[in-house]
Amino acid sequence: MKDFIKVNNSSQITGGSDCIIKVQNVSKIFKISRRAAGIPGMLANMIAPKYEKKQAVKDISFDIEQGEMVGFIGPNGAGKSTMIKMLSGILCPDSGEIQVARYIPYRQRKEYVQNIGVVFGQKSQLQWDLPVIDSFELLKAIYRIPESDYKKNLNRFIEMLHMSEFLNRPVRQLSLGQRMRADIVAALLHSPKIVFFDEPTIGVDVVGKETIRNFICELNTQDNVSMIFTTHDMQDIEKTCKRLIIIDKGSKVYDGSLLGIREKYGTTRQLDVEFNRDIEIAPIEHVQIQQLDETDGRKKRFIFENQEVQIDELMNHLLSNYGIRDINVSEPEIEALIRKIYNGEVL
Amino acid sequence: MLTPYLAFARKSFLGRSAYRFNHFMGILNTIVQIFIFWEIYQALYHGRGEIDGVTMSMVTTNFVFSICLGAVFTVDDFYLPYRIGNGSIATELLLPVNFKGRMLADNLGNAVFQLVFHFIPALFVAAVVVGIDTPYSFPMFVLFIFSALLGYGVLWSISFAVQMSSFWLINVWSIVTIKNVFVNVLSGSMIPLWFMPDWMDSIMRFLPFSSIYFTPVQIYLGELSYREIGEKCMIQIIWIFLIYLLGNFLWERGKKKLVVQGG
Repeated sequence: MKDFIKVNNSSQITGGSDCIIKVQNVSKIFKISRRAAGIPGMLANMIAPKYEKKQAVKDISFDIEQGEMVGFIGPNGAGKSTMIKMLSGILCPDSGEIQVARYIPYRQRKEYVQNIGVVFGQKSQLQWDLPVIDSFELLKAIYRIPESDYKKNLNRFIEMLHMSEFLNRPVRQLSLGQRMRADIVAALLHSPKIVFFDEPTIGVDVVGKETIRNFICELNTQDNVSMIFTTHDMQDIEKTCKRLIIIDKGSKVYDGSLLGIREKYGTTRQLDVEFNRDIEIAPIEHVQIQQLDETDGRKKRFIFENQEVQIDELMNHLLSNYGIRDINVSEPEIEALIRKIYNGEVL
Repeated sequence: MLTPYLAFARKSFLGRSAYRFNHFMGILNTIVQIFIFWEIYQALYHGRGEIDGVTMSMVTTNFVFSICLGAVFTVDDFYLPYRIGNGSIATELLLPVNFKGRMLADNLGNAVFQLVFHFIPALFVAAVVVGIDTPYSFPMFVLFIFSALLGYGVLWSISFAVQMSSFWLINVWSIVTIKNVFVNVLSGSMIPLWFMPDWMDSIMRFLPFSSIYFTPVQIYLGELSYREIGEKCMIQIIWIFLIYLLGNFLWERGKKKLVVQGG
């Protein structure tokens, strides 16, 4: 009760009445048994087991508004799944507060989960031996979904995800992509307003991924469903989310728009130039010159920082001094930037 | 419309019919067990009418009912351990239902299936071939059913409490096995409690195991007065309550330290 009041107060401080998810200073530590390899290690472990504490989530805070779609990324073991499990009421945070749609997920689990949908890419909630449709029927009873809503949702999802061909097949005979689509429908039959996707495209082929992404986008725009989406595939994020939260080693390292990443970290530009003939370029201040092709001296790459060198000046300089056949400006890809963030190069 | 718990029970009932060969072998197993016990006790009685005031037909009735009820009282001891072990507890907790209620519903669906398709055929075969006593009277038969339901409750809560240890120990096979040895030996299903030495009897008084099979069988045979039946059933209820409370305490503690295995 005390915590509940605390949460209410804090929501007043930050104001946002349309904030549907509020996470404040959440931390979670796991105790991991640690054991040396081989038989000596086993014996030592039998007598005096050693444990090591791993901080899976470290002091994370963020707010999410109704209808927002947020990408959650980070390297393996960064704490994304742990965060999702705490948000969905399965795990209990060690400290900090989580409030989703006026519920405290962990404490009011049973009432709370009626309002959310969760898809774990690595865990299926379908009945292994039964046809897909039987699992759906069971969920209808569990969530007490009215017949008309159930029919409406089911027909709509079947059409959007092209599922009619395998609806009557047992789950164990489905391909991974089919199973994933069925799992997504299973999580959405009760029309939740908040959905968590934990790696929903893992192991799915290109076409399947595209279907899933389109479906997620459509659901977000048409039904104003709030979503959190974890993935390792940057294309998923680029095609679905406007906002991105990056987690590394349990801490939040970035929270902002997808384009903001480029503005913040993507200041490097590169200019690939193909000259008429193999020539030596005189050094230019703040610009790094690389040979693009070992055997062909005509192709060169100019790398520079946005703030230090004006691109039009550089191009003018090159055009007026050298004969040029082709020129190409490129921005670093988001994926390369994320890689830099993971490697700790830009922070 | 089905309530969620009825839907779970129905699913587990229907799921049982998937493995038909396994099921028929199960019935055969029960019948073979009954024959083995019958042969052993025939050899022990060696034509005598009674031993310590216990007749052969009383003993037979006891083991036939214990073994047949045992087939119905099959609580899946690995229900929670399995789900914790492979991480599927995560998806279970996402459902808007009480997990303990769902566990009970699944177990009951299975028990009803076993009652109809295992208990009744096996009991019929046993009654025809080895012969059992008829119920002492009709009221006693009704009380027997009531007490057998409570016996199931005692067994279920013991299993429930033992399973809760899986929050701390991922592998609970050993502790479940120890529990089952206690249940088998001390519930009177192998050796009727009439033959237990006095000192053992006084220990048994403070243990829940005789409440599972022996109390219902005693009622069936008309061994207890109405007052004793009232007392014994009260003891069954108290055991269910106490053991459930212990299990629930572990459940509440365990949930907080739940670790979801595998990603």
